[in-house]
Parts: sequence; C-alpha cells; structure tokens
Amino acid sequence: MAISASEAHYIIESCLTDLRIDGRSKCEHRPYTITNRSTHTKTSQAANAPAFILSNGSSRIHLPGSTTDVVCSVKADLVHPSPSKPNQGILELNVDLSLCGGGGTLEASAGGGGAQKRRRQQREEESQITSLLQRLILPHAVNHESLVVWPGKYVWRLSIDVMVLRCDGCVLDASSIAIREALQNTKLPKVQAVMEKGNDDANNGGSASKNDLLVDGDHHKAVSPCGAEDCPLVITVSVLSSPPSATDAVTSTTGSKRYKSIAIIDARTEEEACASTRVCVTVDTNGMVCGVHTLGGGGAGMEEEGEQGGAGGSSMPISMLGEVVTTASMAAKNLYTKLDRDRQVVKDVSSTDNDCGYGYLLKNHF
Amino acid sequence: MTSLQRTDILSLIHLRSDGRRPNEIRHMTCHLGALPPTTDCGSALPSSACSGSAMVTMGLTQVLCIVRGPCDVGRRTEELPDRATLEVTMRTAPFAPPGDRRSTNPTSDRRLIEQSHLLQKALSASILLHLYPKSKISVTVMVLADDGGRLEAAINACTLALIDAGIPLKDMVCACSAGRWNAGGSDEIVVDLNRREIQAATGGASGGGGGNNSGGGGGTSDTIYLPVATMPQRGTVVLSQCESRLSGGAEAFGEVLECARAGCEMVMEVMAAAVRERGAGLWKAREGKATVVLDDW
Repeated sequence: MAISASEAHYIIESCLTDLRIDGRSKCEHRPYTITNRSTHTKTSQAANAPAFILSNGSSRIHLPGSTTDVVCSVKADLVHPSPSKPNQGILELNVDLSLCGGGGTLEASAGGGGAQKRRRQQREEESQITSLLQRLILPHAVNHESLVVWPGKYVWRLSIDVMVLRCDGCVLDASSIAIREALQNTKLPKVQAVMEKGNDDANNGGSASKNDLLVDGDHHKAVSPCGAEDCPLVITVSVLSSPPSATDAVTSTTGSKRYKSIAIIDARTEEEACASTRVCVTVDTNGMVCGVHTLGGGGAGMEEEGEQGGAGGSSMPISMLGEVVTTASMAAKNLYTKLDRDRQVVKDVSSTDNDCGYGYLLKNHF
Repeated sequence: MTSLQRTDILSLIHLRSDGRRPNEIRHMTCHLGALPPTTDCGSALPSSACSGSAMVTMGLTQVLCIVRGPCDVGRRTEELPDRATLEVTMRTAPFAPPGDRRSTNPTSDRRLIEQSHLLQKALSASILLHLYPKSKISVTVMVLADDGGRLEAAINACTLALIDAGIPLKDMVCACSAGRWNAGGSDEIVVDLNRREIQAATGGASGGGGGNNSGGGGGTSDTIYLPVATMPQRGTVVLSQCESRLSGGAEAFGEVLECARAGCEMVMEVMAAAVRERGAGLWKAREGKATVVLDDW
C-alpha cells in the first residue's frame, strides 16, 4: 500500500509513544468477532449455527466495520493414508484470495498487463500464505493419530479452505484464528470399522472377508477432532523503527546510530506499510512457541505481505528478536483467553436451548 | 430393501423431499451489502474496490456477488464506444458442493464458463449500459454452497448487488427454476428444485440420480428441468434453458414455463422486501437514527 513519508512518520512516532493511530496500545488486538456462533443478542438466530451448513466445520472471523473478513471451512472425507505415514490422518490447506480484489497500487499501474499481473501476484501471495500456514500450524493443529479410523486402511482427510474476503493487515493472524475456530467446530461422524468373514470358505480358496465401515449418522455422537483445542495461533509482530534525528546523533555517547524501535501486535495495513520487519510467531495454548518466520518489511507497492526483489529486505537487531517473541507469547495468551471466554459465553447461553441436532442446525434454512 | 423411506412418506401426502409443496420456493434470504465498501478508519482501502455486494441464500445454496464499477477498461481494444462492457466471472468455492470437495478452475470448467456467459446475457438485458460508455462493470460471483440452483441464485444475487452498487437497471431480474417429473404415476410440476430433484430430473432414471454431474440431456422422456429468469414487473422472460427432451410437446413446455414465472414472482417479492429494508435502513441512517448491527449473513 502506498503511503507517504509524512504519514509513515506520523504512524511511527505515535507507535513509539505507545498510542497507535486507532487508539490501541502496542499489545492490544482488535476486537475480532467470530460470527459462526451467532450472537446471543439476536434472539431469532440459532446459537451455534455454523456458517456453512454443508461443511463439517466452518467459521467466519470478522471485524465489525468489515475491514477484515475471513471465512474458513473444513470438509472431511475418508481416504487411504499415505504409505509413509499409515497411522496418521491427512490435513490439507488451501487459501483463496480471489475476492480480496487486486492491490490498489497495482491498479494504478499500467492497465494492459494489470489484470494478469494482479492475478499472478495474487497467486504468489496465496501460495506464500498457504505454505506459511502449512509449516507453522498444520503439524500442531490436530492430533493426527486420532484421525485414524482403520489403521493402515482408512483415515480422515480434513480439507481446510480459507477464503479471505477482505483483509486489513495481518492475514496470517486472521487466517489462523479462523482455522482454529473451524477445527473446533468440526463434527466428524463416528465411524466404526467392521470386519466380517465370508460365509462359504469351502468355495473360495481364501475366504473373502467383507470389510465395512459403519457410519453413525447420529449428530449427537459426532465428535470434534481430538486436539483441536491445541491448535496454535499465529501472531504477527511488526517492528517499526524510526531513524534517529540529527539532534540525537550529536548527543549520543556511542559512535553508532541508535534506532528507536518498537514491536506492535496486529498491525493494520498502514502500520504494516511502515514496518521495517514483520515476524510471525506461532504460539500454542501452553505458551510454547511452535514456529518463527520473518517476513519482509512493508515496502512500497506490496499489499499484504511478501518479499519482492530487494525492496523487502528485512533486518532488525538481534536483541529485538527476544523482545519480539516475548511480546508475541504475551499477546497470544491474551488472545487465547479472549477466544475461550467468547466461546464459554455462547456455550452458557446455548446450553439452555435444545441440543443441536440436524434439524436444529437447518432451522434457519427452511 | 423394502424399508419405507422418508421420501415415500412425503410423496404420499404430496410433499417433496424437503417438505415443500410443489409450488413453494425454498426459504430465501437476501443480504444487501454483505461486504460494505467503506471502512471506518477513513483511509481508502485500496483492496476493497467493490461498489456493491449481495449474498443470497436459497435453501442451502449460498451465493455471494460483488460488483465493481463502472471503472476504466484495462485495454483499449475491449472498450465499446457507446456503452459499458459487462464482465461476469463465476466461480465456486472448493467447499461448495455437498459431499466431496472439488476445486474447479474457473477458467477451464465449461459449465462455469457457460453459466457466466448466460449470466452476462441476462444482466445485459436489464442494465442501462448506454449510460456509461467506454467503461467496465465487472461482476464476480462466488458460489459458497451449492445445493442445486446455483445459476438462479447467482442471477438473483447479481441483481441485488447491482442495486446495492447503484447501477441503474430497467427492472429487477429474478430467476427461479421449474421442473416436471413423473412422481407416483402422475405428472407433477414443481418449482425451485434442489440438488436431489435436479439429479432426478436430469440424471438417472427412476431410483435416484446417477453420477455426480447433472449434465444436460439424457433424462427420461418425461422429465423437464427449466431454469428461467424473468423481469417480473415487465413480464418479459430474459433467460430460459432447457436441456431435456420434451415428450409432451410444446404445451408441456408452456406449463412448466408458467410455473417458473410464478416462482420468479415469489422470488421478486422476497428480493423487493430486502431492497426496501435496506433503503429504509439507509434512510434512517441519513436522518441520524441508525442502528448498528453486527453484520450476519
């Protein structure tokens, strides 16, 4: 996003005094709302109504005011496991940015190659986000061994699709929250493997055993994938630094220049555009760090994230890295408590209503 | 297997598989402005360049439509000197079909390309394109959940999104499907078919639908499946697509078409109510009495 120098200066200066342009402090998250569990203020809505009825699990993360809107759906089916990991389920992830619109800066550029260039850029961003999420989250998202139905023969394959409708900074954060919520809402039917021996052993040489899978269609017996509560979240920490002014250099005792830096959480697009570095830290519910990845800074001309040639070269002092990770884990703890609190509130409300069977879920659609 | 199925019971009392009468459309909700273009921070977000959007749910089918424009045409060769170019893209989300998940490439799936084309023809009949020469209006349709009737839901969603974007239309284009099959010995004409009924009408013969594609043609000779788009206030038919063999001749087609037109009028009532509600909300906001609601789909 194109940003002017004075605007960048204003943003950096205000962040350095711990008061950002929308009034938050440096460790505050925006009030994301998860609307798949419809709010209890609207009495006509069914509580716990999923966003997508045809998927096994779904969620929608959005900010009121609609600057960020991310939808995630989880579909499950039974497949043969991969031969190298016969006792683990399979998780696939796909990110779709097609509705997000092209970058504004790209539209301003040449019109002819604009559409294709935009699409290619979008695909690159999509693949980058997908691969980052795959590396950072998927290995820890769910207990893979619990997805096995018949060891060696049939396992669950969860296909996670994230669709970003619009995003105002921190795509990875919003996507990871959406994935976590969708996984927690996923209901997998109870499947039992039944093995029967063939009746006539005499006729066939080797008795043909009939192998079957019994799928229990009762909604009450559907289970969530085990370990979904431990799905980690990505926190993107942006480091904003301002070059020292002329007066500072004169009065400093050391010879080298000192940059004033600050690490902020959940940056908006404008703040990301002035960031010198962005670090994505994956933290899980126990406070353990699952992964760290640095992205380039917000150079001019980039919409979401991604390095582009040499423009996005990121560098930050090593001492900042420790501070970044501690900031991230603190923010993650706050985020987890907030998400769980929201979930608990809705659960208290909905426990008085009827249990959600299929008819209850479909009530709004018919 | 002689167990009594739910559908048999329902058909005994002349109800369809989801409990509807033959002349009832599915439960339809419209949400105008599902992705509002403005942001609260005041700075123009360059990525959200949409002028209008709408989300339409018909039964379990959910379609989201985004309209961008009128804006500059990218290439000079594409622009028309006396009217606007209308560009329609239709794509499905990978989680859209019930059952297994398939990701269709929008540039190579013939069905989607055909439906985009039909959508473009249907909308061009209604938009006043001559008011915006040398510009482009681009419409993107994303099918979020497909339970049959995605073309009709897409047309309805596009109409509402165009209204939300403020692009002048001659009339609202409403779409609904109708079909006829042989149910329990007598012919029944039904409105707004869902996926199972479409498969029964176009796919296999008796005993449930065949494979997964409800490709055109090949149904038994009595079944007809007809999606229709009309402009109800003017009484003109904008689009109708029938790929079945008609055994009853032209009058069978006429009956089904009449039924579809009645369905379109019912759809129009729902859509008009949604437009009026949105207008009332905007009017109240203008007077300073706005109520802010967390936008829910």
